Amino acid sequence: MNPDHETSVIEDAERRGRTELWPFWRRIYAQGDPLPRFTAPGAPPSYRFDEGEPLPAEYRELLLKMLRHEGERAGNKSFLGLMATCLDLAEAIFPDAESKLLKAEYLAEELKHAIMFHRLAVGLERDFALRDVPYVHYTFHLPRETWADDALFHFLVDLNGAFHARDWRESSYAPLAKMSATVERDEVGHSEMGYHFLQQICGEPRGKALVQHLLGKWYPAALDMFGRSDSKNAPRFIHWGLKSVGNAEIREAYQAYVDRKLVALGLDPPDERKNRRFL
Amino acid sequence: MSDIVEEIRAAYGRVGIVLDRPATYGTYYRLLCGKCGRMVGNVGDRLLPDMAGALVEQQFDLYAAGLLGCPCGHQREVTRGLDAARWEAARRRHGGSA
Repeated sequence: MNPDHETSVIEDAERRGRTELWPFWRRIYAQGDPLPRFTAPGAPPSYRFDEGEPLPAEYRELLLKMLRHEGERAGNKSFLGLMATCLDLAEAIFPDAESKLLKAEYLAEELKHAIMFHRLAVGLERDFALRDVPYVHYTFHLPRETWADDALFHFLVDLNGAFHARDWRESSYAPLAKMSATVERDEVGHSEMGYHFLQQICGEPRGKALVQHLLGKWYPAALDMFGRSDSKNAPRFIHWGLKSVGNAEIREAYQAYVDRKLVALGLDPPDERKNRRFL
Repeated sequence: MSDIVEEIRAAYGRVGIVLDRPATYGTYYRLLCGKCGRMVGNVGDRLLPDMAGALVEQQFDLYAAGLLGCPCGHQREVTRGLDAARWEAARRRHGGSA
């Protein structure tokens, strides 16, 4: 089977999975590019590397660090474990059959990313492709005890992935730049799935009160996911063209996007400094 | 067993939720109702120190009002036993079910 045929099989499967709601990114992108474009300060980096080309040591180290943090790899059993928790929740606390099916579509798409990142990892470093890298950031470990928790997880955490993937469109590592538009689009869709669930939950007062309360847990964690504003690595990522902006700038854009959507639900965005661990 | 896992176990035990054995390669754990054994959620083992206790404490009102916890009502009853005045206030605020 040639790679083009493999792609068409996946595309065909995705087409057949379409419903009025799924994929959620369709309606969003129909209105234009939803995420801001980030521009590196100063002249754009001149580096550009493709698969198989020798990489400078620091570049390779930073790229691997970024991919470890990203985590969506078929050979990363901790990622598969995280996906299994989503299935567990879908089985135990799903509100209706449609929500459960949407969750299955979400998982299918994340597993597609796992294949894409697996290919990228194999092309970069074979040993890395099979390495188990448990998610280190606490946000991936927060308790999810209700569908509202899960909705906030998707709305906020998948959106974090979308913002990073948006930035990879300009990545100096060509294989990452090539797949970035698909990953970004899908992650925006996953975030919108979470938002769709939040809209349903906030449709009645008790649900809205629950979501407002749970924001105290998820909002600071989501902002913390971007790392410290004074990260010493950020300028090196920018230097090599692996990122366009520092942690503070991307967090600020993300927060503006999130706040706008929370306000549209009639929710109050929490104090941005409350319960934060990584400022 | 890591200190964090023991911290999570103790925090949830206080409100009548049991931390199950590790699932899915040992990083994540199911949360089970302490009375009927139904799954009520999950949690990972990389929370920061003192985080589990704080999170469960912040969710006290939600357990009291029945917005979180098992449909069997166990966590609602356990939280009533922990602090009846706070429990009543939470139910007045959130309109808890019977």
